[in-house]
Amino acid sequence: MKENILIIGGGAAGMEAATQLKKLGLNPIIVEKSDKLGGHIAQWDRLFPAFHPAKDVVEQMLNNVKDIDVRLNTEVTDIQRNSDGFKATLSNNDTIDAKAVILATGFDLFKAERKQEYGYGIYNNVMTSLELERFFRTGKDDRINNPKKIGFVHCVGARDVKVGNTYCSKVCCTTALKQACEMKEVFPDAEVYTFYMDLRMFGPGYEDLYLKTQKDFDVKCIRGRVCEVSEDMDGRLVIKAEDTLFGKPLKMTLDVLILMCSMEKAKSIDKIQQQLGVANNSDGFMQNKDMYLGMNDSKQDGVFVAGTCTAPKSLPDTIGEARSVAVEVFNYINNR
Amino acid sequence: MNQYIFHPFVLPFVLGMAFVLTYCVVGLLRIIGQLPKDDRKKFWRSLVTPKTAWANIRDLFGDCLFHVKIWKRNPVLGYMHSAIAFGWFMIIVIGHVMLFTLKPLEGVDVQGFARTFTNFYYPIFYKHFATETPTFAFLMDFFLLMIISGILIAVVKKIYSKIVGVKRITKFGFADNMIRFALWTIFPFRLIAEKSNIMAFWWLYSIDLMIFMCMLPFTRYMHIPTEALFILLRHAGLKPREPRKGYALAQIYSCPSCGLCIDACPMSVNDKNSGNTSAYFMKKLRNANDEEAKRIAETCMQCGKCVAVCPVSIESCDIKMSQREATPYTINSDHSYLDSISTEVEKSPSVLYFAGCMTQLTPKIMRSMKKIMDAAGENYEFLDKDGGICCGRPMMLSGKKAEARAMIEKNTELIKKSGAKKLVLSCPICYKVFKEEYNLEGIEIQHHTQYIEELIKCGKIYVERRDTKYVYHDPCELGRAFGIYDEPRYVVHSVGQIVDAKSEKELSICCGGSLGSFNLTQQERDEITANSVNDLMFNNPDEIVTACPLCLKTFSKKSPVKVKDIAEIVGEQIENC
Repeated sequence: MKENILIIGGGAAGMEAATQLKKLGLNPIIVEKSDKLGGHIAQWDRLFPAFHPAKDVVEQMLNNVKDIDVRLNTEVTDIQRNSDGFKATLSNNDTIDAKAVILATGFDLFKAERKQEYGYGIYNNVMTSLELERFFRTGKDDRINNPKKIGFVHCVGARDVKVGNTYCSKVCCTTALKQACEMKEVFPDAEVYTFYMDLRMFGPGYEDLYLKTQKDFDVKCIRGRVCEVSEDMDGRLVIKAEDTLFGKPLKMTLDVLILMCSMEKAKSIDKIQQQLGVANNSDGFMQNKDMYLGMNDSKQDGVFVAGTCTAPKSLPDTIGEARSVAVEVFNYINNR
Repeated sequence: MNQYIFHPFVLPFVLGMAFVLTYCVVGLLRIIGQLPKDDRKKFWRSLVTPKTAWANIRDLFGDCLFHVKIWKRNPVLGYMHSAIAFGWFMIIVIGHVMLFTLKPLEGVDVQGFARTFTNFYYPIFYKHFATETPTFAFLMDFFLLMIISGILIAVVKKIYSKIVGVKRITKFGFADNMIRFALWTIFPFRLIAEKSNIMAFWWLYSIDLMIFMCMLPFTRYMHIPTEALFILLRHAGLKPREPRKGYALAQIYSCPSCGLCIDACPMSVNDKNSGNTSAYFMKKLRNANDEEAKRIAETCMQCGKCVAVCPVSIESCDIKMSQREATPYTINSDHSYLDSISTEVEKSPSVLYFAGCMTQLTPKIMRSMKKIMDAAGENYEFLDKDGGICCGRPMMLSGKKAEARAMIEKNTELIKKSGAKKLVLSCPICYKVFKEEYNLEGIEIQHHTQYIEELIKCGKIYVERRDTKYVYHDPCELGRAFGIYDEPRYVVHSVGQIVDAKSEKELSICCGGSLGSFNLTQQERDEITANSVNDLMFNNPDEIVTACPLCLKTFSKKSPVKVKDIAEIVGEQIENC
């Protein structure tokens, strides 16, 4: 009989881990709380740095898991450890007996309302990076009406002591530049500004994207945080920021402002995490055994972690972790 | 046979008493001498002004004698303190009254100067030299036992303070511990000496008194003689100008280090920080530990809760501010931009609304205020629509009065030119500086809680009531600073149900976001916030309402329920007409 491996979360990490476990001869079961697989990446239009359609990647991943036991619209409501491994109860009252558990629960997007000074939910024309992706996919958004001036704010809810998140969310810099270029593609006459603290172009081809953004797309990158946003009589947004390279405050009127929201560990898993005894780091993400050789192990025997539940990560990083967690679980089962 | 009413054991007492009296007279002259000229004038005048003179009499009796404030704060401590202090006072008074009726044992009758000198110690040791009438005997024993009962409570409090409702007590050094031990033993020794007439106990009693008197000026017991002076100075309306001189010195000596402020201080939520409370600040000042005093003055959030709970009404926040003013912090401020701001006004509104920088960062409040004023049909204008000038309070909090003045003057000019008769502020931080430092004669300054209350009361806006359970958080600079407690509660009550927080009004706990502190870390602030939120959630409200944009931002981070400004909840329920 094949050994059951319970994977909580059907995003990129969960799907890829399941694919590899299946190949290794185990029986992965994915429990996904929403009505479809794919997680956040399925809501994305194109991926940085090369504007590759997200759909291609997602479809390929979905194709890989088509023979795998997937429970949609289902959550794990209770999990108990027993001599045989784990017994999980699902929201539809099914139970799963599993030898090991992989937490691949990903992230929640930072709620932009929490930075009230940026006016999300107060002013019409302030939107989030995720909503902009939806616009790119569907071509529809009431807030985007042939804008002449567009602004991007980096690090919303990241590297910000005031909201309690001191970490860098890693992918927003590159995403912002990618989205800035895409806006420029859709609205070639618009002026596009991005307001950054640092541009962290950490991956292959990312720095090239940054150069391209400035050279080919004429996006203006301003180093400095936006401090407050207000609305003028015509409903346009007036932002105040500081250009820290010039050491001067600036004021600008924009038609639309996009907030690059950070990642926070998904809250919906808190209870199960507690039952399993997996603690969080001070940044709120899950703790792994160590950052080098035990990045997929939690401190609890038989409980593994993968993807953005332990820290903000890009898609390639997440897929890499999903593959490595499969090997970890395979070795764990064989050595039992 | 003694010709005089004398025994050598009275000498230690006489010495101690002479020392303490001399010290007090010198100290009094020093404090009054250190007062700036105008303050001194104010002080003399207050002594003969009927209103302040009456307040002086009331508080001298109420605070120094009957300890009304401690009774109110904690009845057990009230009894403890009254038993010792009031009991002792009564023994001294009755002793002196009794002088005329005492029958000396030896049949000596001393007259003239010798009699006066004798009277100095006679009532203290009378039992050795004379017998009293039964009534006096009863009274003296009664008050002596009362004192001893107070001491018993004090001993219990020292060993297990929680039993009297106090979590943390002040930690003392050697001198304070020693004088306390002397105080605790004076009266049991007296009781034994009186009942047994054993010489050793008379000696112990007298030496104990000497130790107490001689150490008094250098310990917290200096509050006994100084508090009276402090009450007079306080009623004269003085403000501490320098952290260790004049009025401030009177306060330093008046602080009894009782430690009631330690439990009250929001920083004490972290035990490590309970050493930053006012009791210790005053001790550092007294011991001339300037480095530490400066550090504590910079750490304090200026929420004023220590002042609210202080049984002596020590204005520790003001002293901390004077400490900051005395420190030459380097702040590179450039106010040249002020000249370029135009003071031309297009229209003349009757109400001027000044949002302030914190409200600019919480645009929901501004929107709600706009909605409310529109609904009320007010003729209003936003003073800082396009970003205004800072109210000056942050500079004030850094002890930089001159820098703050530059902004205050420009704002004053702008406000006066507008011709408005009323200025509405939604930030208590601004409200405090506008109330205290601005000279806006003829213009009514209101916080938006007062303004909205007025609009509701006079029927200018109609608010539909809903079922939501709200808890109201009193911002420090609105509640404790100005006693604005009822107006916001009236407004919240008009919108929905209001439930109590665990600590309310003058006991409300700072949100932790205060601009006052220079050096609390974010983590320390978060602990304070979490504690304050817990306190507010005591009765499980649906939403937390506050009236300060900074409290709003701070609570939003930690609160399990929605946090809103009072203007927001009114804006939500207002009927457009």
